Amino acid sequence: MLAKYVARRFFASVVVVLGVTLITLVLMDRTRGTYVPGIDLNPALRPEDIEHLRENLGLNTPFYVWYLTWIGGVLHGDFGHSMIDGSTVMSHILDRLPNTLELTATAIVIGVVIAVPLGVIGALRRGSKTDHALTVVSVAGFAVPQFWMGLILILIFSVTLEQHGLPWLPSSGAFSAVNGGDFFDRVQHLILPATVLSFFYTSLWSRFIRSSMLEVLSQDYIRTARAKGMSERRVVYLHGLRNALIPLITLIGLELPGLVSGGLVVEVVFGWPGIGKLAFERALQYDYTTVMGVTFFATLLVVAGNLLADLLYGVLDPRIRYG
Amino acid sequence: MSRDGDAVDSGFAQFERFLEEWSRRDFLKRAGGAAAYMAFMAGGAEFLAACASGPTTTTSVTPKKGGHVVEGNFSDIRTLNSMLSSDTASNQVIGMLFDGLLNYKKDGSLIPALAADLPKTSSDGMSYTFKLRPNLKWSDGQPLTSDDVKFTYQLAYDAQYKAVSSPRRGDLSKYIAGIDTPDPQTVVVRTTQVFAPFLSSHGRYGILPKHVLGSLDAKAINTADFNTAPTVSNGAFKFVKWDKGQQVTMARNDNYWAGPAYLDQWIYKVLPDSVAVTNQLKTGEIDIGPVDPGQFDALKTTSTVALSEFPVPTFTFYAYQLDPNKPAGPFFQDKAVRQALLFALNRPQIVSAVYFGHGSVANSVEPPISWAYKDKPQVLYSFDKAKAESMLDGAGWAKGSDGIRAKNGTKMKFTMITNAGNKQREAMLQVMQQSWHDIGVEATPSLIQFPQLVSQIVSIRTFDVFLVGFNFDEDPDQGQLWHSRNTVPGGFNGFDFKNDQVDSVLDQAVGTLDKTKRKQLYFQFQDLMSDQVPAPIILFNHGIWGVNTRVQGTDFGPYNQYATRPWNHATWVTDGK
Repeated sequence: MLAKYVARRFFASVVVVLGVTLITLVLMDRTRGTYVPGIDLNPALRPEDIEHLRENLGLNTPFYVWYLTWIGGVLHGDFGHSMIDGSTVMSHILDRLPNTLELTATAIVIGVVIAVPLGVIGALRRGSKTDHALTVVSVAGFAVPQFWMGLILILIFSVTLEQHGLPWLPSSGAFSAVNGGDFFDRVQHLILPATVLSFFYTSLWSRFIRSSMLEVLSQDYIRTARAKGMSERRVVYLHGLRNALIPLITLIGLELPGLVSGGLVVEVVFGWPGIGKLAFERALQYDYTTVMGVTFFATLLVVAGNLLADLLYGVLDPRIRYG
Repeated sequence: MSRDGDAVDSGFAQFERFLEEWSRRDFLKRAGGAAAYMAFMAGGAEFLAACASGPTTTTSVTPKKGGHVVEGNFSDIRTLNSMLSSDTASNQVIGMLFDGLLNYKKDGSLIPALAADLPKTSSDGMSYTFKLRPNLKWSDGQPLTSDDVKFTYQLAYDAQYKAVSSPRRGDLSKYIAGIDTPDPQTVVVRTTQVFAPFLSSHGRYGILPKHVLGSLDAKAINTADFNTAPTVSNGAFKFVKWDKGQQVTMARNDNYWAGPAYLDQWIYKVLPDSVAVTNQLKTGEIDIGPVDPGQFDALKTTSTVALSEFPVPTFTFYAYQLDPNKPAGPFFQDKAVRQALLFALNRPQIVSAVYFGHGSVANSVEPPISWAYKDKPQVLYSFDKAKAESMLDGAGWAKGSDGIRAKNGTKMKFTMITNAGNKQREAMLQVMQQSWHDIGVEATPSLIQFPQLVSQIVSIRTFDVFLVGFNFDEDPDQGQLWHSRNTVPGGFNGFDFKNDQVDSVLDQAVGTLDKTKRKQLYFQFQDLMSDQVPAPIILFNHGIWGVNTRVQGTDFGPYNQYATRPWNHATWVTDGK
């Protein structure tokens, strides 16, 4: 039953991946005009140079031909070479994937660890001062733009602290330029971007847990549990929270592609050498191959994340059956 | 040029820089007159010493060995293959790793690098003979010979390497007839015709190792591992590691022809934006970085950062649509309209408001630092609103009841485009909109993405007016922008400027090696351009660099900013870290 379900979802996924990558390519191809990736307004270039580069990059072939060639390569595990720098798309992705995973996984873990108790407290003490305060903070969490918060944190925790001779945090990159890269060094660089990103996750998820918890607590089976004399603790954590977490699983499942695309904005503000920043920069430069490669993996992860979330439902809620 | 000549010139350059440094008001405020006088005397002694002992360092302190410099900039590199690269970031790092035959001094004049001397030019001006320095070595100890030089240029001119995606193929295949290597130290470049900008445009490409790349076929060179991780180099530094999206690490090359650099490491670090450059110059996370004009004041008060500012051959200009078949074409056919619109712009105000004074209003199309610059060309444009209005009246554009000028029922309304995200250009369009509104012309700013802007300029060409920046080499030739030949699709003369006189002057000027004659022709060219104003230049930009005070021996200048830094091996750090 389950195997059949997974197989069906898998075939649906193939269609989704094909669709998304095709749309990405068409959007790039239709808006590119005659721009040649990697070539800025450079007076040293003659029209014939630009034409020659266009030819070499395969930009003169119609997009459907280009797409079929690309798919052919992907089926053989070849994602091609970047149009900007000639190195393989895979090397770009593999170089930056660990950085993005480091940042997003940290932010997601911190987010869940903080959001769950805050959500539960908000729900249990609904209407209290604590609840109002949490509401204000979490609304701020998704109202404050991430780039702004990032810049303010840099200003306070890097520049101002340094100017006053106090210990300060590095403002960009994943490790120190000189002799960097050990565990402690990386953690130092991680603090600011992870704070911004997890603040966002915490705000978002604590609201969901709060409302989902409220809904669950008003259910008949909770009343039944209380009526049969179960301790409040068991009611809340065993019967309440477990059911309230189901929507969170979907949310986190949907964040799985975020593991790859990362907090794009956060990566850009903090110069974090991750996948999100790569996709952002290369999309602006019309580096077809790199953008397609990243899109492919991001789509794959959305699909996988959704599937994983659906399967986890079964674990959390035995009533759910696949078919 | 002899080594002694270099020494004297370099001494003068140092003296000038010294005067600039000490005349800075903020210094005088802090130090007081007497201290400044003492410093002047001390510096004077240094100047004499520099004349006598040759170009070594800029202070009397003995340079320390060891340590590192972290340099910040906004863009990641793309390739480290000098024949494939066309962007500033890549060229900058390539300049650290690979020397060419020649290099620039900061005033733009050529100096020998891998070549022992400037080349001998044949009497017909059609061939250049280079002698390489003796005993040149790659960082792996292999000898660097004329074969390497020939191989490097072949990648871009030789038909057998046509599949190499070199952005230099157009010029090189047009002008190079062949390269001969009579012996391992001699390179003879034969050209197809006399082309004056040849040496300054094409003499400084980093030389590539034939013993590493020579066995690859043309297509394989485009994607060779060498392009992103070169195993050998010939410049002051050698490649260690490229952490994509974060930094390129380089280490001292002990086989460098000018002797080993003082520094152990030079790190090129990628930063998000100009604000990050300022912040990290302050925190000391980076030692060197280009400073945005808007950030100048924020850094001026930072005691650990020294700023140097100088004019550069980069300019910002707007172009009128001159193709009569395009919607806005008919507006700008009349020279009087083009001139009037320029008279209506208060350019000094643009420089002070948009660039905080860090720029120079352009009198001419040639940069003020060029040897061919004419300070007062035929027509000068100072801000004169009344004159602008009377010129438009005279041209038949009368103000209507709505305040907008019209002629034969057509209102003077058009759109101005530039790339979104460039704050200075966006601000300039707003100033232009207001200035032209004041004389009854309705110009609407519109922001598009950079790739779309490039497409508009080089091929689609449906724009009315565009605003963009351009950057020229040391050579005064500007044919790429103004010659009617480049109105073809893909050319940069996208505004369709066609003027026989300009074409002829430009052609003559690149067809002779006689500098006096060239200068005369470029004076004529600048007169013509000041009269025609097909695409007025608003300002010439300034380069501003912030350097941590622990770093010594840098010598930034108009032509020694990014790719060409003959001083990079002489840079050192006072704390040895």
